[in-house]
Amino acid sequence: MPNTYRTNVEIDWCPGCGDFGILNALTLALQELKIPNEKVALTGGIGCSSKIPHYVNVYAYHTLHGRSLAQAQAIKIANPELEVIAAAGDGDALGIGTQHFVAAGRRNVDLTYLIFDNGVYGLTKGQASPTLPYGESPKSLQVENIKDPVNPIFLALASGYTFVARSYSYNIKHLKDTIIRAIKHKGLALVDIMQPCVTYNNINTKEYYDARLYDLQKEGWDPVAKNEDEYKQKLGQATIKSLEWGDKIPMGVFIEYQKETYDERLSRLLMNYKSKNFVTLPIHENGKPVNDITPLIEELI
Amino acid sequence: MQMRKGFTMKDLNLMVAGPQGSGINFTSDTFSKVMARLGYYVFSNAELFSTIKGEHSYFRVRVSDELIRSYSKRVDILIALDSKSIILHKDEVDNNGFIITEEKPLDSRFIQVEYNKILQNVANKYNKNLSELSVMKNTIALAVVGKIASIPKDAIQKVISENFAKRPNIAELNNAVVDETYSITKIERSITLPKGKSFGKMLINTAEAVAIGKIAAGLRFQSYYPITPASDESQYLEGVMSKYNVIVEQTEDEIAAINMAIAAANTGLRAATSTSGPGFSLMVEALSYAGMTETPVVIFYYQRAGPSTGMPTRHEQGDLKFAISAGHGEFPRIVIAPGDHEEAFYDAFESFNLAEKYQLPVIVMLDKSMAMSNYTIPKFDTSKLKIDRGKLILEGEVSNYKRYAFTEDGISPRTVPGVKNGMFTIAGDEHEEDGHIFSEDPDNRIRMMDKRMGKLKKVLSEIPTDMKYKFYGNGENLIISWGSPKGAILDAIRERPEYSYLQIRLLHPFPVDEVKPFAKYKRIVTVEQNYSGQLADILKEDAGIDVNSRIVKFNGRPIAFEELIEGLDRSKTERRVVLTYA
Ligand SMILES: Cc1ncc(C[n+]2csc(CCOP(=O)(O)OP(=O)(O)O)c2C)c(N)n1
Ligand SMILES: [Mg+2]
Repeated sequence: MPNTYRTNVEIDWCPGCGDFGILNALTLALQELKIPNEKVALTGGIGCSSKIPHYVNVYAYHTLHGRSLAQAQAIKIANPELEVIAAAGDGDALGIGTQHFVAAGRRNVDLTYLIFDNGVYGLTKGQASPTLPYGESPKSLQVENIKDPVNPIFLALASGYTFVARSYSYNIKHLKDTIIRAIKHKGLALVDIMQPCVTYNNINTKEYYDARLYDLQKEGWDPVAKNEDEYKQKLGQATIKSLEWGDKIPMGVFIEYQKETYDERLSRLLMNYKSKNFVTLPIHENGKPVNDITPLIEELI
Repeated sequence: MQMRKGFTMKDLNLMVAGPQGSGINFTSDTFSKVMARLGYYVFSNAELFSTIKGEHSYFRVRVSDELIRSYSKRVDILIALDSKSIILHKDEVDNNGFIITEEKPLDSRFIQVEYNKILQNVANKYNKNLSELSVMKNTIALAVVGKIASIPKDAIQKVISENFAKRPNIAELNNAVVDETYSITKIERSITLPKGKSFGKMLINTAEAVAIGKIAAGLRFQSYYPITPASDESQYLEGVMSKYNVIVEQTEDEIAAINMAIAAANTGLRAATSTSGPGFSLMVEALSYAGMTETPVVIFYYQRAGPSTGMPTRHEQGDLKFAISAGHGEFPRIVIAPGDHEEAFYDAFESFNLAEKYQLPVIVMLDKSMAMSNYTIPKFDTSKLKIDRGKLILEGEVSNYKRYAFTEDGISPRTVPGVKNGMFTIAGDEHEEDGHIFSEDPDNRIRMMDKRMGKLKKVLSEIPTDMKYKFYGNGENLIISWGSPKGAILDAIRERPEYSYLQIRLLHPFPVDEVKPFAKYKRIVTVEQNYSGQLADILKEDAGIDVNSRIVKFNGRPIAFEELIEGLDRSKTERRVVLTYA
């Protein structure tokens, strides 16, 4: 079956870039889920990774550096019938866009957030990104990295993300299955994807990850929390697992907890939000405004 | 001092002064409403500190049977709710005026009110503690004003009952306080106003006018981060969001606010954000993105005194040049400035048509003085309102779709997610017709720049004249201004009919062809509430008009019409006139 989720745009990532694996896994996931192309919105920020919307045959929003998640949330809020996926580099997500990363946890908008985590700012030629471990200095750095890294898994857990996972761009099956699970999850789902940058990061390479990544689920971790008590308890354990980094690095789902999503919460404030699609709900009839403002005027007299 | 016993006056000016948070706005708001109901024109404005409780603040209410559009320097009645208010304002009070206070009278203008006695009497009658009633001092002051100005008691009580419609017990107590005040307060002099004859008008501020205009326009998505003086509008929208199907989203910051509005617009909703200078500064990168991506988003820009955090609750029009030029690179935008609440409503409505028709960001310039002044205007006429969403495709199926297709009129059809085969690629990088960014072809760049920038010409040729400018008067000299000084200017040129007035409404693209012919006026002065005279600069740069004098005011307070009259007189000999009244 041909992949109908790919555009025929020529891809300009470096040969061997980890981003290819993510593109493949994502389009395979869409294919498997059979979501109509016109029902999918994919956002990107700015970076090598964030060019991915150009390569996927869906509604594509190539936004600003750091703003992928902010725009993705608004798209889903504007039209809850859409399947919304936000893509971002680690610089996008955890450098310039950190405020959205944290604030999104408070909303729990039902969307999937993919972070292309390569430890560097690829598009600007390899400066340290917020996830680059302390003391690691890939060849592209002019000076030693003297900053500690942000831990995306830990931060997502702390921010209230209801689905948090790590996957790997060279394990297409695991990545595709994780993306499918993230898309199916009702609520804000993060997949932090280990994505070697073949050009600038000579430390966090394929060989590096192949030797270290192990599958949490194969080790028996059940991330699903069925109620709030269980969530609180598993959150603690998941947080401890999120701190593992070194000779062994866990991948898989850390937490999965279904709770009220943002559109459900919004429908408490907006009586018609659940029953009507605000995009197609007409605002005029032959130019004449549908909204009757007379009661608002009368209140002021 | 010679006092007149009872007299009729053309306009009555009330000032309510006291510590912030003591409920003084209750007195001025209720008085405004009562007088509007009695058929008077009302103009009120607030001067507040950027604190919540304690600091000195004051409200002015001007009332007349004739049309008024600005405040007066003269104070006829001062309600002084603390001794500081007496010290600060007693000299502003007219020789024939009144000072309502609890303290010992200093001269014959003073009326000493027995607040505690009145409250005690009512407390006894209703079996309440005095402390429960102490908040009702404002009601007493209001009733004293009512008595001085010969206002029927029940006119006040009716408005109070409406204000507390949800709490009838409170309404009853307040109204008992009005009864008691009318019966025991002795007043030796009174004022009579000619009968009001302007009924059925709205008492409204710009935040409300804009919000209602947006609702009429079918606004579906409003994002905001709280900031004075913009958030009143968003809060008003929150109050009616369910009824009118408006998603109001309070975001983590203004960067999120503008990005969310942009994304909602590109998903098919009419979308806007409202902010002030500090917030707009954070939005600038995304503004440029909206221009590049041809996104119809509307920004409501409530200016306040800058730079930086400046004076957050004070007035200024210091951001004109910023608004018309903010953002890296060159891209089209529309900047319009209403000058009063009526225009604020119609412009808010129309801004969405412009944004969607031309697919570009629109900025509506407002300010603190408009947001925090309530005055009477005729009911909005909705009969002529017409929604035009431009080349928007909301449903169905398309073929061979390209988001940025070159077309004859320069505007490309716009799909939204859900439309079959309408998949777009929106990109802030320079793109080809299909939205893809990889060729960086120099010829494509030229065509795309021409396509986007070409909209400005189209806007200039299509926008109706009264959205470009309005003209008033028939004097041989000319005042040119923009935005909120309008009211004071119109009131001032009644006294100085040798001046005409050109109100520039479209600030970008600047209507050069329309403005140039005005160079023929004998003497031209600009009136603006900023330091340098930003519009005067633009007039010189764009239209080659070198004005004779720049009248400016930048002390954070709006212009009183009397000081503008003096300013106009001074402008005959001074190249720059700084107004300083506070
Ligand atoms: C406001 C702003 N600042 C800086 C840049 C320059 N810039 C472009 S991409 C990028 C970093 C990209 O790194 P990352 O998000 O990790 O994505 P990657 O290229 O590694 O996939 C930066 C800093 C920009 N486009 N916008
Ligand atoms: Mg990166």
